[in-house]
Amino acid sequence: MAVKKYDNPDLEKKLHDTRYHSIDTNPEFTKKVLDISRTIANMCYQCGTCTGSCPSAPRSSYRIRLFMRRAVLGLEDEALTDPDLWLCTTCYSCTDRCPRDIAPTDVIMAMRNLAFKRDIIPRNFLKTAQLIYSTGHGVPNNDVNRAARVKLGLTADPPTTHSYPEFIPGIQKILNYFELKQNADRMLEGE
Amino acid sequence: MAEKEEARVGVFICHCGTNIAGSIDIMDAVEYAKTIPNVAYADQYQYMCSTPGQGKIVEAIKEHNLTGIVVAACSPRLHEPTFRVATKEGGLNPFRFEMANIREQNSWVHMHDKESATAKAKDAIKIAVAKAALLEDLIPKSVPVEHAALVVGAGVGGIQASLDLASAGIKTYLIEKWPTVGGRMSQLDKTFPTLDCSQCILTPKMVDVGRHPNIELMTYCEIEKVEGYIGNFDITIRKKARGVLSPDEATARGIVGGGCNGCGDCAEVCPVIKPNPFEMGMAPRKAIYIYHAQVMPLLYTVDFDACVKCGLCVDACGDKKAIDLEMEDEFITLKIGTAIIATGYNLMPIENKREWGYKQFDNVITGLEFERLICASGPTGGHLIRPSDGETPKSVGFILCAGSRDNTGNGKPYCSRFCCMYSLKHAHQIMEKIPGTKVYLFYMDIRSFGKMYEEFYYRIQSEGAKFIRGRVANVLEDPQTRNLYVRAEDTLLGRPVEVECDLVVLAAAVQPVDEEDVIRKHFGVSKSQDGWMLEAHPKLNPCGTTTAGVFLAGVCQGPKDIPDTVAQAEGAASAASIPIHIGQVELEPYFAQCMEELCAGCGMCIDLCPYQALALVDRSDGSGRKVMSVTEAKCKGCGTCGGFCPGGAIKMQHFTSPQIHAQIDAFLCGGEQ
Repeated sequence: MAVKKYDNPDLEKKLHDTRYHSIDTNPEFTKKVLDISRTIANMCYQCGTCTGSCPSAPRSSYRIRLFMRRAVLGLEDEALTDPDLWLCTTCYSCTDRCPRDIAPTDVIMAMRNLAFKRDIIPRNFLKTAQLIYSTGHGVPNNDVNRAARVKLGLTADPPTTHSYPEFIPGIQKILNYFELKQNADRMLEGE
Repeated sequence: MAEKEEARVGVFICHCGTNIAGSIDIMDAVEYAKTIPNVAYADQYQYMCSTPGQGKIVEAIKEHNLTGIVVAACSPRLHEPTFRVATKEGGLNPFRFEMANIREQNSWVHMHDKESATAKAKDAIKIAVAKAALLEDLIPKSVPVEHAALVVGAGVGGIQASLDLASAGIKTYLIEKWPTVGGRMSQLDKTFPTLDCSQCILTPKMVDVGRHPNIELMTYCEIEKVEGYIGNFDITIRKKARGVLSPDEATARGIVGGGCNGCGDCAEVCPVIKPNPFEMGMAPRKAIYIYHAQVMPLLYTVDFDACVKCGLCVDACGDKKAIDLEMEDEFITLKIGTAIIATGYNLMPIENKREWGYKQFDNVITGLEFERLICASGPTGGHLIRPSDGETPKSVGFILCAGSRDNTGNGKPYCSRFCCMYSLKHAHQIMEKIPGTKVYLFYMDIRSFGKMYEEFYYRIQSEGAKFIRGRVANVLEDPQTRNLYVRAEDTLLGRPVEVECDLVVLAAAVQPVDEEDVIRKHFGVSKSQDGWMLEAHPKLNPCGTTTAGVFLAGVCQGPKDIPDTVAQAEGAASAASIPIHIGQVELEPYFAQCMEELCAGCGMCIDLCPYQALALVDRSDGSGRKVMSVTEAKCKGCGTCGGFCPGGAIKMQHFTSPQIHAQIDAFLCGGEQ
């Protein structure tokens, strides 16, 4: 439908049409989410058990139920550009309780994969990818931690890649296969 | 495969509007049919089941001197009877008819592949013609029908069905496993949407079944065995040892003026205390007990699992001599013509849904427990309290769809259909009895679909109940206050919500009673996917079952509220009375027949028969040798014996070996034998 123009960019932005239109829905997106997540988001009846169970929801604007709705309707841009997509802790409480036997967590994971393919990803996730590449840990050991471990009678470093750095190349091989590090480097270039 | 006469088969292909014609080339199929051996005539019509369509069959039989009819159309379950009547009208034996299903098994499943669908339809027609050419005249048998009916379960459905049957002049046996009639409805406080007192509207009917001259009420009884077939069922009833004699039974034992008069002196002295299941275990009863003050019949019952046989009750009963602590189960045999199953429901074990805390937190209760707590004749005299401390609740949360509409396997996939309405009623009762109490209903959809139901929803909203659209994620308890925190998402606000409640009521999903499978199998009734008993047709035969003469009423067939249960009970009673009033039933002549000259009398078929229809008898030629004999009315024509018989001595009428061979040949060899 033709939309009235105002000859004023600020006003046009303020008064823009917030309806979603049939043209915004992409059935391919619904199918892609289904293929990656292997769960049937279109069976969702929007009861809210997922959001009610979500530890993230009371502390943020993240509403997993809305992402399920976007998956059903194929609202690709709305889903993938929403920063809330990255607030899921993947605790799987919603999946545990969903009465329709859907796995909302897996829907979120599928959408994150699709977003990453479009270079939509928060910086901290990219930093984490870089750290895993270089140390084998998303959160590497630090001096405070080392002191605490020694105080508890443990070795300063845990028996992971921190103690056995010879396994780091293996991890790097896996990340290289998915080009995770290369993509992270590219997107963070200049920082 | 010698034929006595030249077979002349007429083929009629139905368009069924576009149902068939949309994916099958009808004219191509007609032209093909004309080329099949033995086909004397082929035609098509928009709707073969219509009057002009049937007229075509009648005319063609006369005009072309046909010996067999094939209609290629829908499933025989739908219109086989229709076309048999048409075949008969044309002057042929009605069993000279064969149906080819080209709709359910063809056009509807191959909607987008016209070419293959048409090829498949041609095969189906060819196969049907092969059988039609060999069909024989069959005469259905009639058997007399016993002028009595059985109703299993004395809830409101069973009571209504019994009253209808009895009032229609039929001797009716009403069997109930509980010591009293009344069922679930007698446990309810009020009914929606009229807010009638449930007991007040039910007890007159309970009294009626107790004194109707045509009803024989058999409480504390269970079905032990079912034998026979429509018109002639032999039912064995286990009359559980009640330990108490009715006045009639006392008289029969020569105790004049004795028997239980319901005075209750026995229960007063009984030292054993047990939870009363009628009060959902929330009130005590003795080992000798009645469920509640309005039981029918007013007879005490001894719980022999709990009784210590101290004999105090026997002394208290005195000269009435109503108590016999040595009583044992008895078996009674009934002969009936038709039966109605009305076994009702249980709540699902909602404690399996751990997140809602039932049986972990005292103040989480079910809807049925709420009914007893709010009922004036209940354990608290109608004062709603919360179980942990007996305090009056100031805020109550209702969790709807508790276990219903749940596909996880730890719940029920169906809608339980009456929980929305009773939760609305509960909300109303709280706001009426305890002004100022806050009521929260957590719902997904309010399904208020009955007469005056939506208006009732409107009324509860206007009374101030808060409706929160979100399914409850979990319930937490504060161990100090024992208050409950109900967590959900208010999906209309898009915000997580936590509501502090003193009491939480779960509108738990319903499921069939524990005995359902046993009773179902006694009567040969199937189970539908959701676990309830399977009706003969969901729309056009909702009271019937696949067993002739056995009918369903009420929740045992699927969740129903009281109006729907009563309506179905009246329907079932009407259906069950028809064969009884006609006095005889016609059986489809598909039974097995023994060809005596081939039968070696080995008797191996006897044990194979699932219907106990076969027996070994003396051969009619007086040779002293045995042959198998079929009780035709019992035989369902399943073919187990015919397929097994080592001597090929059993002929399955309408499914004879030559007929089946011809069908296979037609398919595999194109009809060229």
